[in-house]
Amino acid sequence: MKVLIVDDEKPARDRLRQLVDDFDVHEVVGEAANGEQAIALATSLKPDVVLLDIRMPGIDGIETAHHLNAMAVPPAVVFTTAYDEYAIDAFEARAIGYVLKPVRHERLERALEHAARITGKALNALTAETPLKSRRQHVCARVGDELRLIPIGAISYFNADQKYVCVHHEKGEDLIDDSLKALEDEFADDFVRIHRGALVAIAEIARLDKSADGKTRVVLRETGDDESDELTISRRHLANVRRRLKGR
Amino acid sequence: MAAIPDSETTETQAYLPDFCAAGTVFVVVLIAELVAILLTLAAYDTPGMFLIELARTSLFIVWLAVLGSVVMCLFRDRLESAGKTRAFVLSFIVLEVLCVGLAEIAFQITSVYGESVIIQDSHSRYLLRTFAISSIVIALAMRYLYISSEWRRSIVLEAQARISALQALIRPHFLFNSMNTIASLTRTDPRQAEEAVEDLSDLLRANLGGSGARTSIKEELEVAAIYQRIEKLRLGDRLNVRWNVADLPMRALIPSLTIQPLLENAIYHGIELLPDGGEVTVTGVRDGKYIDITMANPVATDRERTTGGNKMALANIRQRFELAYGARATVDVEIDGTNYSVRLRFPYEQSQA
Repeated sequence: MKVLIVDDEKPARDRLRQLVDDFDVHEVVGEAANGEQAIALATSLKPDVVLLDIRMPGIDGIETAHHLNAMAVPPAVVFTTAYDEYAIDAFEARAIGYVLKPVRHERLERALEHAARITGKALNALTAETPLKSRRQHVCARVGDELRLIPIGAISYFNADQKYVCVHHEKGEDLIDDSLKALEDEFADDFVRIHRGALVAIAEIARLDKSADGKTRVVLRETGDDESDELTISRRHLANVRRRLKGR
Repeated sequence: MAAIPDSETTETQAYLPDFCAAGTVFVVVLIAELVAILLTLAAYDTPGMFLIELARTSLFIVWLAVLGSVVMCLFRDRLESAGKTRAFVLSFIVLEVLCVGLAEIAFQITSVYGESVIIQDSHSRYLLRTFAISSIVIALAMRYLYISSEWRRSIVLEAQARISALQALIRPHFLFNSMNTIASLTRTDPRQAEEAVEDLSDLLRANLGGSGARTSIKEELEVAAIYQRIEKLRLGDRLNVRWNVADLPMRALIPSLTIQPLLENAIYHGIELLPDGGEVTVTGVRDGKYIDITMANPVATDRERTTGGNKMALANIRQRFELAYGARATVDVEIDGTNYSVRLRFPYEQSQA
């Protein structure tokens, strides 16, 4: 199997490489020092298994795993952790692969064998169940074969577009797999629902505009006035939007 | 790694004894009776009348003691919340009012019903005397209660400090990561692995040595330096520590295991979570009779970091500083955007050796 090693500490990466090299059947195809690198390498190297450290700066291991799941064929994930009560609880309950540091030869071998047997789909379901420790710092869009990370701070709004949700951000628009409801729950602090199909970043709202036909629309700081109907506030949500804007 | 339960902290804050408890009431009545005997002995001059005199004095004093206990029992919570000094002053005033009030009632009763003249003094002189005697007795009793509560408090504090020192020992996270690093180095760089094992042993020894004692700043800085060496293996270039400590008197005393846990915090909550790492700055100066040590580190802003370990280490240091120096030491935390700093200020004391 092709293995990708992700850990922010060099000695920890070396250790995993040594161990994986000991098994003739597995091969290390790459090493990443953080979540962003891991996602980039995973899409280009297409590993079968990712050995993923949980506690990393930036995007941590759990968030990285969630993003990796957005790949067309997600790799199996085996978490590595030194001591993390939360993670151990979460994984024991769900039997997702994890190994404790210092990593034991046999334990890693078993985890890799186990990973080989799990199909991508089953893994998807498993990791999706693993709750995030905190809200994600990025959402992840799949563009062809690549995964694109979009920082939450760069997003102006989400709108549901039939099957997918479209993210409107600084650098354009992308489709993501998350549901609008899930996004609303996760980012409730910074986003507000303006109608059934749209979630707007509160910080991005410049003002509310009342048009001649009596409808109230959101005017964004960045794009300014656009005439599309996407940002019209539904009557049902208007009071709540006003309240959230006052509170900021 | 359970946090210290609240009940223990409230226990240390209780400085007034529990007057609702039977044991306390018994002691109070006993003291009252002893005072009655003392007063009767001092004033006794009519032969054969001792027991009658004693009975009369006891009647008054024991009544006072029981009523005082009831009042203190009812108002204890309110008095406690007023703060230590005020609690004692207020208790004193309350008891004194009670005492003079009771004396007045006794005077009225005897003047109306007294067949023989029991109180031979004039009204004002009688009240004044009662006031003077009770002031002295109550003040002494208060002082006694204060000291014994302080003594109990320091015992509890000390025990707590010991327990949390055990809990605040090196984080398991650090220990396991270090072991993992050493496992890795045994193949790539056996020489360095050897050093790491030695360093880790020294560090564990320092930790097991207990945190009750004080040590010299020199030794404390050495322990922190060993810790830094181990973390450096793991974090590489991401970790930098700037030691501005040349001005510190190296023989000055500091509660042991103070700087190392702070450095551990700075790394665990700060440096480790920054993709490019950062620099921890330790600045130490002597400011007249005080020593001032500040540890500052950058923190990641995008994550909320309020895990238990941090508070535990800090709470532990606070406790030990309070135990060692009382109000003369301060432990301040300052968070300014992405900069986190802890400042220790404590009296300059030199080791005898």
